[in-house]
Amino acid sequence: MRLRALALLGGALLSTVAQAGAQEYHVDREADNRVTFVSRAAIEEFEGVTDRIDGYVLLGQERLSAGSVRSETEFYFEVDLASLDTGISLRNRHMRDNYLEVAEFPYAALDGSIATVSETAEGFRIEAIGRMAIHGVEQVVSVPCEVTEEGSGYRARCALQVLLSDYDIEIPRVMFLKLANEIQLRLDFHLKPAPAG
Amino acid sequence: MRHSVVGFAIGALLIPSMLAGQERRGSWQRSEPATEVPVTVFHSTQSANLPTAETLAKGEILFEISHRFSPSISEGADALWGLDGPVVNRLGLSYAVSDRAMVGLLRSNLADNLDLQVKLRVWEADAGSGAYMLGMVGGIAINPELTDVSAFDGESLQYYAQAILNVAPVPGLALGLVPGVIHNVNPGSGDPESALSVGLTGQLYLSQHVSVLGEWNFSEDNGIDLAHDAGAFGVELETGGHFFKLLISNSVRLNPAQHMGGTPFSFDPDEWRLGFNVTRLLSF
Repeated sequence: MRLRALALLGGALLSTVAQAGAQEYHVDREADNRVTFVSRAAIEEFEGVTDRIDGYVLLGQERLSAGSVRSETEFYFEVDLASLDTGISLRNRHMRDNYLEVAEFPYAALDGSIATVSETAEGFRIEAIGRMAIHGVEQVVSVPCEVTEEGSGYRARCALQVLLSDYDIEIPRVMFLKLANEIQLRLDFHLKPAPAG
Repeated sequence: MRHSVVGFAIGALLIPSMLAGQERRGSWQRSEPATEVPVTVFHSTQSANLPTAETLAKGEILFEISHRFSPSISEGADALWGLDGPVVNRLGLSYAVSDRAMVGLLRSNLADNLDLQVKLRVWEADAGSGAYMLGMVGGIAINPELTDVSAFDGESLQYYAQAILNVAPVPGLALGLVPGVIHNVNPGSGDPESALSVGLTGQLYLSQHVSVLGEWNFSEDNGIDLAHDAGAFGVELETGGHFFKLLISNSVRLNPAQHMGGTPFSFDPDEWRLGFNVTRLLSF
């Protein structure tokens, strides 16, 4: 409890101090972004893809650098779920209407902070901790990402696994089980400095 | 490594607490609204026989195999309630040239009817009072088995057009009105005539994958072989790429130019026949 209070206090102080040199990055919507989910069910494997990812990262400093806990950072990303394309329109509709219920829950969102940053040969490996919201349900997740510098911005490639059952997404089992409960999520997106002002 | 684990542990402990009730500090704002969810009335591109205004997505291919068993269910166990056959078979292949237009080639072994059709989804809207969709179908068919003359002779050639109005007044219920006109309704009769028809169709979606459907096609009295309206009812199962329709009908006339004219059988239960439609959606 004391450790948590100390960490909270430290985080708040760091946050205040870091504001001066903070740099915000936005998802570059013009870049070749790609969000992919992969379902490997018993009799069918398929992917859903979209380029409709948006959001930002607020770094507590000008540029990303190796360090331990980056609690002064902040990020928010969202994926437009109605744009997911699985390659078959009927399956798209099932994903939209039956499973994700996008009319009510149009976005999958991830917000949180960067926990750790370490240098790699190509750039950085970060571990982000945040809340993933899908289908109106939030879960705390850890997201590992590989980040490379790209001019004044960055390219981030993240991967994580989600269980649809964790998000109250019901998969009917009375017919053909074509959607797996365990979904692999891959995010590949580009960040550019936020416009001034 | 140890450093990273400790950092992760502290982060996992810390972050959810910090996020609770936290205002976002970034200047980012969503720049455009979420993708609009396409309007849906019927899920499938056809009911038992009548078309719906639904189309495929550009580039998709729909393969269909449909059967109507010729013996009636009332023939009982001796004919396995009709399943012993023979059957009227239809094979179909449709291709979506755009999200709103598809071209189909349908071949029935009844009179070797070969049908080339175009379907357009003209308009759709999701208003507060329900979802609406308008479409139209036009086609041309030949019947090589019926006449000694060329398949494209006036006695063999048929052409038709249908307008389609689909409405979903409440979620889970789809209704359709399909008025149509066909030229040479009774090919091979030696007297090519035009005829009108009006189709009604309805489908109730009971769950994510199961629905029940019914349809009725009012047709003119087009002669002794086409004296009755065609009706059908059944259940539809849908999966990620398939529709399976299990049907009971008083008609075995599968292709549009055949179905629009009527059926020789009344809708008396003694004349009911079993049938099915199976479609598979493909995308390359």
